[in-house]
Amino acid sequence: MKFAKYLFIFLLMGWGATLWGQTVETAAAAPAAEQLPRLMTYVLAITGAVLFIVAMFYVVTVNQFLYKRVLDLEAAKSGVTLPDETPLAAAPAGESFLTTLRKKYWEDAVPIDREEEILSHHDFDGIRELDNRLPPWWVNMFILTIIWAVFYMYYYHWGGNGPSSSEEYKMEIEQAKKQQSIALAGKANAVDESNVTALTESSDLGEGELIFKNTCAACHGPKGEGTVGPNMTDEYWIHGGGIKNIFKVIKYGVPDKGMISWQSQLSAGDMQKVGSYILTLQGTNPPNPKAPQGEIWKEEATPVDSTGTK
Amino acid sequence: MSRIEQFQYDNRIVRAFGMASFIFGIVGMLVGLILAFQLIYPALNLSQYGIPITTFGRLRPLHTNAVIFAFVGNGIFMGVYYSLQRLLKARMFSDTLSWIHFWGWQVIILCAAVSLPMGITTSSEYAELAWPIDLLITLIWVVFGINMFATIIKRRENHLYVAIWFYIATWITVAVLHIVRSFELPYSLFGSYTLFSGVQDALVQWWYGHNAVAFFLTTPYLGMMYYFLPKAANRPVYSYKLSIIHFWALIFIYIWAGPHHLLYSSMPDWVQSLGTVFSIMLIAPSWGGMLNGLLTLRGAWDRVRQDPVLKFMVVAVTAYGMATFEGPMLSIKSVNAISHFTDWTIAHVHVGALGWNGFLTFGVLYWLWPRMYRTELFSVKLANIHFWTGTLGILFYAVPMYWAGWTQSLMWKEFTPEGTLAWGNFLDTVTQIIPLYAMRAFGGTLFFTGTIIGVYNLWKTASQGNFLANEAAEAPARVPHLAPAAGDHWHKWIEQRPIQMLIFSAIAISIGGIVQIFPMVFIESQVPKISSVMPYTPLELSGRDIYIREGCVGCHSQQVRPFRSETERYGEYSKSGEYIYDRPFLWGSKRTGPDLMREGGKYPDSWHYNHMIDPRSMSPGSIMPQYPQLADNQLDLSLLPAKITALRKLGTPYPKDFENKAIGEARAQAKRIANSLKEQGIKDEGMEDKEMMAIIAYLQRLGTDIKAQKTN
Repeated sequence: MKFAKYLFIFLLMGWGATLWGQTVETAAAAPAAEQLPRLMTYVLAITGAVLFIVAMFYVVTVNQFLYKRVLDLEAAKSGVTLPDETPLAAAPAGESFLTTLRKKYWEDAVPIDREEEILSHHDFDGIRELDNRLPPWWVNMFILTIIWAVFYMYYYHWGGNGPSSSEEYKMEIEQAKKQQSIALAGKANAVDESNVTALTESSDLGEGELIFKNTCAACHGPKGEGTVGPNMTDEYWIHGGGIKNIFKVIKYGVPDKGMISWQSQLSAGDMQKVGSYILTLQGTNPPNPKAPQGEIWKEEATPVDSTGTK
Repeated sequence: MSRIEQFQYDNRIVRAFGMASFIFGIVGMLVGLILAFQLIYPALNLSQYGIPITTFGRLRPLHTNAVIFAFVGNGIFMGVYYSLQRLLKARMFSDTLSWIHFWGWQVIILCAAVSLPMGITTSSEYAELAWPIDLLITLIWVVFGINMFATIIKRRENHLYVAIWFYIATWITVAVLHIVRSFELPYSLFGSYTLFSGVQDALVQWWYGHNAVAFFLTTPYLGMMYYFLPKAANRPVYSYKLSIIHFWALIFIYIWAGPHHLLYSSMPDWVQSLGTVFSIMLIAPSWGGMLNGLLTLRGAWDRVRQDPVLKFMVVAVTAYGMATFEGPMLSIKSVNAISHFTDWTIAHVHVGALGWNGFLTFGVLYWLWPRMYRTELFSVKLANIHFWTGTLGILFYAVPMYWAGWTQSLMWKEFTPEGTLAWGNFLDTVTQIIPLYAMRAFGGTLFFTGTIIGVYNLWKTASQGNFLANEAAEAPARVPHLAPAAGDHWHKWIEQRPIQMLIFSAIAISIGGIVQIFPMVFIESQVPKISSVMPYTPLELSGRDIYIREGCVGCHSQQVRPFRSETERYGEYSKSGEYIYDRPFLWGSKRTGPDLMREGGKYPDSWHYNHMIDPRSMSPGSIMPQYPQLADNQLDLSLLPAKITALRKLGTPYPKDFENKAIGEARAQAKRIANSLKEQGIKDEGMEDKEMMAIIAYLQRLGTDIKAQKTN
C-alpha cells in the first residue's frame, strides 16, 4: 500500500519532468519569429515544472490525508478501531481541519505561552534552546530543491537531451541567421565598398558629423585637422580619397598604421554617413592642420559614379 | 556534585579585536569609496601624476582584503573570543597565544596594505597575497586553532553549543581552502606561480573564493548570531533540530557550489551543472540560519523597535536571507548569462558585506562595548541614526548597482534587426551607467558616515565607562558523562566530542572539492589540448606579470562566453585548451572594461601605446586609469630566467636551456615592437627598454594562438 503510493507520486513527478523537457524542446523547434526569448522560455518552463511538481506533491499528500480522515470518520461511525498507520496525521481533538493541514505542511511552531514544554533544561551561558519541529514548508522546500537538482542533472547529463553550452550556442547562431535574413530580405543590397556613394542630404551629413565627433575626432582632430591620425581636410590621401576608399579604410582599418577596423562597431549605413561627412571637410582649412601625408588624390582616378560630391 | 571553580574571562583580547575590526572597517570602506569615485572621476587614480599605487587596479584588492580579512576577520575573532570563553565556561587556553594571534593577524594586514598597492599580487581574488604572507597566515591560523581547541579541551561545559560547531567548521575549512589555494612555486622573494594552470586554476580559485565567502563571511558569523542574538533578545533559540540539520547541510552543500562563478565559461559543462544544482539546494540550509535567527525573536519584536542592537541584527539576518536567496538565483545559467561580469554581482556581494557582515558586526559591537565597559551605551539616538544612515546607504548602494547591471547587460546583448550589435562600442555601455555609479558612491558615503557615527558612539561609551579586563566567573568542573541520557537527541553524542566534530566537519567539507577538483587535475581529457597553443614568449610573460601587477584583471575579463553577443563583439568563444599555460588564470569576474581574450591583433601597437598613456586620447569618455609610467619604467628582465625555470618545473614545455636565452629573446622582441611603433609615428626615445613593450607584446598575443590554427 505505502509502496504503491510512493510509486504513484514518483510517476507523477516523472511525468511532470518529461512535460518540462518537452516544453523546452518544442520551444527550440518553433519558428524564430513566434518564439519567446530563450531565457524566458527556460524561466517559464522551469517555473512551470517546479510548480507542477509542488502541486502534484501536495495534491497526492493532501489526498492521502483526506482519505485517512474519511477512514477515521467511517471507523468512528462503525465503532471499529483502525491500526494507526501514520500517527502524525491523526489530529488532536479540537483542532480544525485547516489548522491540522497548516501544521502538517506549512508551519508548526509551539506557541510562546506553551514553549516551556519544549525548552531545553540546560543553558549555555544563559542561552536556552527550544526544540521546535523543523518548519514544514522549509523541509518541503529543501526536498523540492533536491528533486529539482536530480532532474536537472538527469536532463542535462545523465540521460535527458538538454543542450550543452556549445549546442545552445549553435542554436542561437542559427536562429540569429534566420532572423537576419528576414530583416535584410526587404532591403536593397547592403552598402559595401564596391557600391557606396557619397550622401548629400544634410540630415545624413549631420548624423555623420555626430559619429565623427564621437569616434574619429580622438585621432583625426575635432575639425579633421589631424593629430595622431592624418589630416582629413587637405587633398592628400595615404590610401586614396573618394568615398569608396574612405569607406574601405573605415571598414577594414589599416592596422599597420594605427587605424582600427570599425565594421563591428558601425553599421554600413553609419560608415557611409561618416565617410560622406569626411568628404565635406575638404578645403575647410582648420587651425593647426597636420602636415600633408600621402599623395594628392585625383578625382579622375576613381570610377565615374562615385565622384559626385566633395 | 563537583567542585565549583573560579576563573576569569579575558576581555582585553576581545576589545583589541573589536577595535581592530572597526578601525580596519573604516579603512576598508574608505578605500571602497575612493574606488567608487574613481569610476566617476578617473583623474582620482592619480597615475597621471606618476603615482601608480593609487590606481583602481591596485586598490581594488586592498579594498576586498581589508573588508574581508581585516574588518570581518577581526570581527570574527572578537565574536569568537568573547562567546567561546563563555560558552565553554573557560578562559582562553593561553593569553600568549591569543596575543600572538592578535598581533600576527595585524601584521598580516599591514603586509597586505603595503604589498597590494605596490603591485605584489597573485591576482587570485581574495588570495592575492604573496607566498611569504601566505605562510604567515597559515602559521597564525594554526595558532588560533591551537588556542581554540585547547580551550575546548579544557572546557567546563560538557556539550558544545551550536555556535561552536560553526567555529570548528570555519577553522578547518578555511585551513583547507587556504592551503590548497596557496600551492605555488616561488621564483623570487615575492613572486610565485600557482601549481594549477588555466581551467584547473579557475576551478580551484572559485572553490576557494566561493567558500571564502561561505566559511569566512558566513559560518563564523552564523556562529556569532547564535550567541549574540539570543543573548540580546533574551529569548531561547527557536529550534535545536533546525540548528543540527541546517549546520550539516550547509557545510556539506556549500563547498560544491563554487563553479557557479564559472557558468558558460570554458569549464566542462558537468562541473558547471554541479555548481548550479548545489547552489539551488543551498537555499534551504542557508535559510535555516535565517529562520532560526528571526524566529528566535518571536515574542521579542516589541523590543526590536527600541533596541538598536536588535535592529542591526534583524537587518543583518534579513540581508543574509536575501543574499542567500539571490545567490542561488544567480547560479541558474540563464540568469547568470545576464548577471555575470556586471554590477549585479557587485550589488549582490554588497548586500552580504554591508548588510549581513557589516550590520551584525555593528550589532555585536553595540552589545559588547557597554558590557565590557560596565556602562550604558553613550547614545541610543546616535545608534539609531547610524542604523538609518547605514540602511539607507545599503539601499542607495544596491538599487543603482542592480539597475546598472541590468542596463549594461541588456546593452551588451542588444542586436539591430540587421544583425549587428546595437552598442558595438563597449564604451557606450559604460558611459550609460556612470550616473548610477555616482548614486552608488552616494550610498557608500552614507554607509561610511554611519560607521563613523558608530565608532564615535563606541568611543564615547568607552570613555564614560570603566573597562573590565578580567571578568570573574565560576562553574563546576566538567565531569565527562559520555553515556547519553535517555531521550537525548542522537546529535548529543558528537556535541561532547570536539575531535570527532572536527573530523566529521572535515569529511563533510572535503567531498565536494574532491569530486570536482580531482578529475579536472588528474584526467587529461577534461581539458582538450589545442596543438597551436604555445607557451608565452619571455617578453609576453613579462608583460603578463605587469598586467597582473597593475590589477588589469579587476576590470577586464579574459573569457568569451558562447553567446552570439560575445562572439560578435570579441571573437571566437574561449576554449579550455587555450589556457593551459596560464598561471594564474586571468578570466576575471567583472567587465568594467571590455573582455581582452581576443585582444591580440585587434588594434595596432601604436593604439595601445597611446591608449596606455592616456586612454581618453583613443577612447573619449573612457574611465580607465592612465598608465604613463609604463612608458617611463625600465623593463626589468632580471627575474626572467628564474620565472622560466619555475614554469618549466610546473610543466610549461620551454626547451632546455631556454632560461639562458630568455633575456636575449625578450630584448629582441621589444626591439621589434619599438620599431613597429616608430613606423606608426611614435618617436619616443629608448622605447625598447621600457615596460610598455612587454605589455604591448602580451596584449597583442592574447587569444591569437587559435586564430593561427584557423588560417593555417
